[in-house]
Formats: sequence, structure tokens, C-alpha cells
Amino acid sequence: MKKVLFAIAFAFFALTGYQAFAQEPELSPERKQAIDSLALEKVRDLSKYVKLIGSKNTPWSEANRVIDRAEELFAPDAEIGVSSLSKTKIEYYKVRKYLERLMRLNYDRVEIDWYKIQYVSDLQRQPDGTYVGVITIFQTFKGYDAEGRLVYQDTTKKDITVYVKRKETQIGGRLIGFWDVLLGDMRVKETTHK
Amino acid sequence: MVKNLKSIIIIAMIALVTISGATSCKSSGKMTRKEYKAKVEQATKDLNAILNDETSWSLEEQLDRVNEIKKVDFSKKNPEIVEMIDRAEAKIAREMEERDRLAEIQRLEEEQRLREMAEQNQANRGIADLLNLIANAKDVNAANSYIKEALQLFESPDAVVLIRLNNYGDYDRPTTAVNYLNYLKDQKKVTVNVDNIKYNAENKITELELIKK
Repeated sequence: MKKVLFAIAFAFFALTGYQAFAQEPELSPERKQAIDSLALEKVRDLSKYVKLIGSKNTPWSEANRVIDRAEELFAPDAEIGVSSLSKTKIEYYKVRKYLERLMRLNYDRVEIDWYKIQYVSDLQRQPDGTYVGVITIFQTFKGYDAEGRLVYQDTTKKDITVYVKRKETQIGGRLIGFWDVLLGDMRVKETTHK
Repeated sequence: MVKNLKSIIIIAMIALVTISGATSCKSSGKMTRKEYKAKVEQATKDLNAILNDETSWSLEEQLDRVNEIKKVDFSKKNPEIVEMIDRAEAKIAREMEERDRLAEIQRLEEEQRLREMAEQNQANRGIADLLNLIANAKDVNAANSYIKEALQLFESPDAVVLIRLNNYGDYDRPTTAVNYLNYLKDQKKVTVNVDNIKYNAENKITELELIKK
């Protein structure tokens, strides 16, 4: 009897799982390329936002507006890791808190640059239809004092999980299918002097 | 014999003068009863055709024909033709006036159509140009000034902006005019072309569709 129930349950899950996949056929290479690029672009957008928020030249009102825009790139509970050469522990903050701290860093001038922005794990489709991947970035951080002296510098490698999900919305009587890209946790992988 | 010859010459001269006199009368405009009758018939026929819209002549040709008819004096023997001439002239004048009025309306409508087309083209160029100007502005103040100008083209700052990724029906998350224009200011790059614009009755953009380059 147990074997029969198990077989029925297995058949049910196998069937519903199959249906979930069957509802959304595999993307063509061209379309997959489009969402790969879209997710990468969101991370590049974030790099500009981080640079703007960190810059002491950005007017306060502009920085706050950019924080709002940057926050929209992330999933609701996403966290960002912060490392320092002087501490071994990596602190994790909610996105908004991280960005607000970034705006108020105790330096007279801050330079933040991201480079080598690339996939370390390609977007893979999950059973629920969401595509999940990991993009790595390298961030150089330089903090200067009032005399223009470089007082702190590091380079941090960070991994960002990206989630891409197909959604639909009605606009002007038209059904628009769009790819919603959300960034997940940004994990510190390593921090070095340069 | 000589006397007879003189008589013959005198008779011949009288005959010649009589004949030439009759000929000159004919060429100076006087017409025979038969000719006049033909003129009356032709004038009546043509004027009736004009008055009853049974001719394919243009209004100018009709007017020329009426002026030609007027060269003959019908007032004594055929006053009804004079009355028809008056009616035909009035009708032609009325129709010319109506034709000119319609042509003026058509001209104004065409002018309006061309003006609207020009305004729409101006708006198309305007928004595409402004996207580039915002992205390449020298500083935040200049970018904000262009954003303010660009927002004038939209129905509202919340007008929809769609970004199409390809031709397979894939879009980025829909956004609003004000957010997209600020995005260009922040990112300092334009990676899209204007693909389609929808306008309201006031020629303001209600939906801007962009496509990835």
C-alpha cells in the first residue's frame, strides 16, 4: 500500500513539475542573451549609483534620490557585505542602511570604482521559472582626508546573486511581458590592500 | 458707240459700288435673320446647359461663353436671353465663390495637417535629442534643466516608458518618464533608440517606447 501511495505521489509531483516547465518553454539563445545582458546592465547601473552616492560632490538631494533608485534594484530583504582591512569580521547591512552609510562616510573625498563585472555562474532556470545567476565585481575604494591625502584604500571582490523573473502587466490595454531583474545578497569574497 | 460705252461703265460702277457696299455691311457685324436665329438658338442652348448644370465646362469656360453670348445684343428681340445671361452670371459667380471658399478651407486644413506633422516630427526629434542631451550634460544642473524641458513633452511625469529588449516581446521593467530621464542623468549613457511614441489630443506623450540598440 505504501509503495502504491509513493508511486501516486511521485507521479503527481513529476507531472506537476513537468507542467510547470512545460508552461514556459526554454528560451531561444537570442532571448537568453537579452536577459543575460539585462541582468549585467543592472549591476553596472548599481556601480554608477554606488559611485554617485559615495561621492562627496553629489548634492545631498541627488544622493537621496539615487539611493531610492539603487534600492529598487534589490530584492526586499537583500543584504550587502562590508569589509575592512582593519577588521576580520564582515558586516552585513540591509541595502538602504548600507547606501545611507556610504553617503555619510567619514572622508573628505571618496572614490569608488567597480570593474571586471562578469558572470561567475550563468543564469539558470529554476523550477518556478525564475532565472538565478551570480555576478562578481571588483571594487576599489579610496578615502582621502581634507589635505587630499589617501588615507584608506582597498579592493574587494564581491558576488551578487541575480534573480530574473518573467512578469506581465497591462499598459494601455496591451499585455506587456517584461523581465524583472532583482539583485540579491552582495557577499564579500575577499579584501586586499590594492 | 462711245455714248453706249459710257453708259455701260456707269452701270458697271453703280453695280460695283452696290455689291461692295453690301459686302462691307456683312463684315461690319450686321447679321442676317438666319444667322441671328442661329445665335439665339446656340445662346439659349448654352445658357440652359450652364443654368441646369448640364455642361462639363469649367466655371472659367462658362464665364467665357457667357461673355461671348453677351457680345450680341439680344435685349430688343430676345430679352429672355438677357435674363438668362444675368442668372448664369449670378450662378457662376456664386459657384466660383463657393469653390474658392472650399479651396481655402482645404488649404487651411492641409496647412494644419502639415503643421501637426511638423510638430510631431519636432516632438520626435525633440525627445530623442533631449535623451542624449541629458545623458551628456556637463553637470547635474544642466541635466536637470534638460529633464525639465523633456518633461514638458510628456502628458505627466508618470507617463509610461517601455524599454524593449528585442523583437520577441521581451521588455525591461516598465518605468516612468521622470525616473527614466533621471536614470539617463545618473548613468550618463543612452543605450536605446526611440521606437514608438503615443500622444494624447494635446500632442503630449502618453507612452514612450524605446528599443535597445
